[in-house]
Amino acid sequence: MSGVVRRLIPKSLAGQVVLVVALALFVAQAINFALLMRERNRMLLTAATAPAVARIVDSLDRRDEGRTRQRGGIARVRFQSSTPVLVGKARPDAERRAADILQDIGITPLRILAAEDADNPVPGRWRRLRERIDPERRPPPRRLTLAVEYQPGQWVIAQSRMTTTIPRLNVWLVGQTLILYVIVLLPLLLIGRRLARPLKDLTVTARQFATTGTADSVAERGPGDVRDLTMAFNAMRARLLAMLDEKDRMLGAIGHDLRTPLASLRVRTESVEDDAERARMADTIEEMNRMLDDILSLARAGRSSEPVVKTDLAALADAVVEDFVELGSPVAMIDSPRAVAAVRPQLLRRALRNLIENAVVYGHRAHVSVVPGDGVIRLCVCDEGPGIAEDRMDEMTQAFTRLEGSRNRETGGAGLGLALVRAIMAEHNGRLDLANRPEGGLEASLVLPV
Amino acid sequence: MTDRPHLLLVDDERSIREPLAQYLQRNGFRVTAVENAREARIRLTANAIDLVVLDIMMPGEDGLSLCRHIRETSDTPVILLTARSEETDRIVGLEMGADDYVLKPFSPRELVARIKVIFRRVATGGQRVAAIDGASYAFSGWVLKSQERMLVDSEGVSVPLSTAEYNLMLAFVTRPNHVLSRDQLLDITQGREANAFDRAIDNQISRLRKKIEADPKNPALIKTVWGGGYTLASDVRKL
Repeated sequence: MSGVVRRLIPKSLAGQVVLVVALALFVAQAINFALLMRERNRMLLTAATAPAVARIVDSLDRRDEGRTRQRGGIARVRFQSSTPVLVGKARPDAERRAADILQDIGITPLRILAAEDADNPVPGRWRRLRERIDPERRPPPRRLTLAVEYQPGQWVIAQSRMTTTIPRLNVWLVGQTLILYVIVLLPLLLIGRRLARPLKDLTVTARQFATTGTADSVAERGPGDVRDLTMAFNAMRARLLAMLDEKDRMLGAIGHDLRTPLASLRVRTESVEDDAERARMADTIEEMNRMLDDILSLARAGRSSEPVVKTDLAALADAVVEDFVELGSPVAMIDSPRAVAAVRPQLLRRALRNLIENAVVYGHRAHVSVVPGDGVIRLCVCDEGPGIAEDRMDEMTQAFTRLEGSRNRETGGAGLGLALVRAIMAEHNGRLDLANRPEGGLEASLVLPV
Repeated sequence: MTDRPHLLLVDDERSIREPLAQYLQRNGFRVTAVENAREARIRLTANAIDLVVLDIMMPGEDGLSLCRHIRETSDTPVILLTARSEETDRIVGLEMGADDYVLKPFSPRELVARIKVIFRRVATGGQRVAAIDGASYAFSGWVLKSQERMLVDSEGVSVPLSTAEYNLMLAFVTRPNHVLSRDQLLDITQGREANAFDRAIDNQISRLRKKIEADPKNPALIKTVWGGGYTLASDVRKL
């Protein structure tokens, strides 16, 4: 139940403001209506009671003159020396109202009785005319009978007509509420939109910044405080971008400064006479260079300039594997169906290459396959090594982690490989899965959303 | 001694310049080594330079600017040395008219191999390699993107290529409708000569066919020419 209510409540700021104001307006209108109804009833009561009271007062005044006013053959006021029995429904509210009016003009009656019953006079000309003009069925007219005991045992009785028209208050209320809604809620909606648009811009930009590491500044518009927020956000964005650019420049400089001595060393190795020794030195330098590449790539993760393109991942995996095969590495591609996804191909090649290198180093051989699945495509690299202890799986993707305990590696490697893979997968909204295969060996999969 | 090609080596880093100059000399080149672009310009006018090996990052006038100057004034081939792997450097360098580029740290043997490839091309009157200039080549519904080393099919889906496949494909699209022998293909793609039993090219051809031919058993694009070699039977448009 509360879930349904929660779902009906709008999530946006403007929506919530409008909802609250609409509810408040409705409550205010309801209170208004109740007060109005009360006042209206009071007026009706007064309108019904007052003529009868007036007649009674008038007749009491004239009683000494011994005349009783009569009109239309109907005795409007009569005197009586016994307690009258009034026909119809007792109206204590009319009794109270009559007492109040009499009190106001200085008469204190002993007792008052009031009753309401049907009045069926012969319809007058006016009434017939009105009924013809207004064919709507009106309720039959009502009559109020008022009896006042002005002296012990002495009663005066008078009658008056009651208003029977029921005012169309509900229609009026709905109309008024609608007008209010239009007057109040429309400007509110406009303000809400004015507020919501710059906020939405901010959200989009912040989200874009978070995923791509770059975003345009947000146009400063909307109300003052939102404008201030936008300005502050833009300033923060500019500062962040400056820092990130500075980082990239620094990394570029580090890359250059480290590669130059490496290049020098590489050239000098050619003067080493021993062929085997020279090859080993060249390998070491190459490995240092690859590590440098990994470090730089990891530091730049999330700020890739490579565009996203639709790519056949089976062909991509096949191309990467083929490069290993060309170099004589024990890597094999398992025939895989075409599987297209939007990726950054160079980065993905890099990730796959890292997994294959790991598989070859730790697991002797690598078998690569591409498996399209339920909304994802998996690029699996299986090896024939000892796998990883289950309790240390998570550690494996942290930068600089190498599991010396469970996997020996004679050569270096800063353990950057998997961290870089994970960074690349994060950039693709994908993930890296590691699992020990039941038949032995580790399966590392790049899981990409389609 | 005049038959030894004269190289101009321009690098501000002494620790690279000197051993590299020695290595190149040992490998049969005449080498003039200078440390900045200003000196290089002087040498270029004073000497008959056959090829320039040029570092990009130098104080003063940088390698790219010098490269453009060389291209504007002569046909002397240029190989760029770059310490940065950023694509932009590579592409800008090739746009400046460099013939090839080598990433630091490089294998001196590879550098020599590339120098020899360029000389061989010059000797055979081959045109300046339009090969690696970051351009794209369209043929029969496919586009080969040299910058990304990928093929793009008619639906816009990228098909990444291995290094060997890419080199082969590039050789074909830059020489469409030419018959290329195995020897030529090996020379173009790897700068080495084939031995009698070399099947590497045939393997790569069959891999490429699987990727681009509608029916790999009955190839319509990369055709076998009996006794001759292979040919790309398609017009190529450079994009």
